[in-house]
Amino acid sequence: MAAQSLSAVDAAVPASTAGAASSRRNRRGSRAERLAPLVLLAPAVLVIAGLRLWPLVLGINFSFTGDGDRNGLAVGFDNYLTLLGDPLFRTALRNVGLLVLLLPVAVAIPGLLATFIFLKVPGHRLYRGVYFFPAVLSPVIVGAIFNLLLAFDGPFNALLGGLGIPPVDWLGDPDVAIFAVVGVHVWATFGMALVVFLAGFATLDSSLLDAAKVDGASLPQTIWHVIVPSLSRTIQFVFVTTMIGMLTSMFGLVYVMTSGGPEGSTYLPEYYVWIQQGQMNQPALASAASTALFLIMLVVGLAQISILRRAGKED
Amino acid sequence: MPRTRLTGWVVAIPMAVLALATIYPVVFTTNVAMKTRREYVLDRFSLADSLSWDNIVKAWTSVGMSRYFLNSVIVVACSVALLLLLIGSMAGFALARLRFRGSSTLFLGVLAALFIPFQVIMVPLARIMADTGLVDTYPGLVLAYVAQFLPFTIFLLTSYYSTVPADIVDAARIDGNTVYGVYWRIMLPIGAPALLSVGVLNALFCWNDVLISLLMMPSAEHRTLMVGVTSLRGQYSDDIPTFASGVLIAAVPVLVVYLFLQRQIADGVTAGSTKG
Repeated sequence: MAAQSLSAVDAAVPASTAGAASSRRNRRGSRAERLAPLVLLAPAVLVIAGLRLWPLVLGINFSFTGDGDRNGLAVGFDNYLTLLGDPLFRTALRNVGLLVLLLPVAVAIPGLLATFIFLKVPGHRLYRGVYFFPAVLSPVIVGAIFNLLLAFDGPFNALLGGLGIPPVDWLGDPDVAIFAVVGVHVWATFGMALVVFLAGFATLDSSLLDAAKVDGASLPQTIWHVIVPSLSRTIQFVFVTTMIGMLTSMFGLVYVMTSGGPEGSTYLPEYYVWIQQGQMNQPALASAASTALFLIMLVVGLAQISILRRAGKED
Repeated sequence: MPRTRLTGWVVAIPMAVLALATIYPVVFTTNVAMKTRREYVLDRFSLADSLSWDNIVKAWTSVGMSRYFLNSVIVVACSVALLLLLIGSMAGFALARLRFRGSSTLFLGVLAALFIPFQVIMVPLARIMADTGLVDTYPGLVLAYVAQFLPFTIFLLTSYYSTVPADIVDAARIDGNTVYGVYWRIMLPIGAPALLSVGVLNALFCWNDVLISLLMMPSAEHRTLMVGVTSLRGQYSDDIPTFASGVLIAAVPVLVVYLFLQRQIADGVTAGSTKG
């Protein structure tokens, strides 16, 4: 979602110069006409400033105050120290590290599948529609379904049993559960990245592929030397959106599938924020966790901007 | 264009298996929803003996899914149809096609808002809603959704309106339209494809949301459908067919929308990914 913003900036720049002609007419227009931009933008500005930018400032401010008895008092970095001392928050951070490590896999799978669909494997017309489908389902629905599928006596273990593999307690084993949750997240969202990749392929110069074919390049060579360089912008976009998705849209899955358990092993920062705010009634501590999450997002966002800038210069 | 037909099939078979793995969970759930409890306990994999709507009816009526469903419909309709598309298209038109002082600053503000995930502002937002008496009300949840998805909506519509030739706007002005006339008579109709795409996407976001709804609508009778599904899980852990029916009720509208508007959804998701 974030990278779309950048493209909109690009698009909006010529727009405002193109609007110069109409502004000349505006000056001759009535007062009401001159106020038009203000009128048209007022609701949007009110909503965004009041319910997004202002809460961000409030929240950061809030994270330096206390909970309970110390409500409203300035406590400096106490909440942040509490966070670092909390095993649940440390687990949440460790799980973010795990997500970062798994990110290349989560990008490579849809990338490869899109490549094969683009190269017209048998049945390619069908796959896009089928693979994209889970991406529109709510994490709640997906989580509820996989609660049934991954139950100890559920279909997935039955399938493994048929292959001679002993059953695994997917959602009950602290060493396994986070992988099960992330796996389900990837299952549910790879179609999103796949569709983005296919849109990238649509812009690919087919003469390059023909040239590679004439030169007798193998499929891996074609992917590595022709497709990857041509799609660098799309690949970066998918990397960033996938990472943001992992950081901000797994709440529903964790909430439904494990509730953070077993033994707190599936905590993620967003789930930690929710528990502290909604269940433990520690809003200031929750704000500190929010701010920490925001810093992580900011790093991702800034990395994206610098990468896209560099990519823009190459164009 | 795989090298040979053989490599094509080597890839096609795992892809077909993956496609089955994508579909099977939903098929399994549908099948379970059709079973009686006894059937499910005896054999959860076999096809249901008959197409029985008993569980669906039970989930819809006595479990209360109908109420949750209605809540979701109301909230999504107000958020998307009324507010997001209206406010978003007004702002998108102004940012893309009107020239005024501070427009680029405003644009940067919207850009900044896009980078703020809900999780980061949920604590202060909950407090603002509580202070203004909007917590646990429909307007409160609608407002929270509008705030959440407006930056995205504005970006998509601004970039769409930027592709509308300035000549069209100028011609309409020469014909004597006011700025508002241009918005209402030209920009809204021209923007229909983008409005449909961003509208469907926003409707899905709102329909599928659980976190915002949990936070803003705590009381049972105000639950939206997704929160309702999560509450079923605890209540019906020994009656899986009824649970599966609840899940199915929540998923079917999305399934229908997907069947008819898949292209529009994909357009919204991919907007800006290639060349801006």
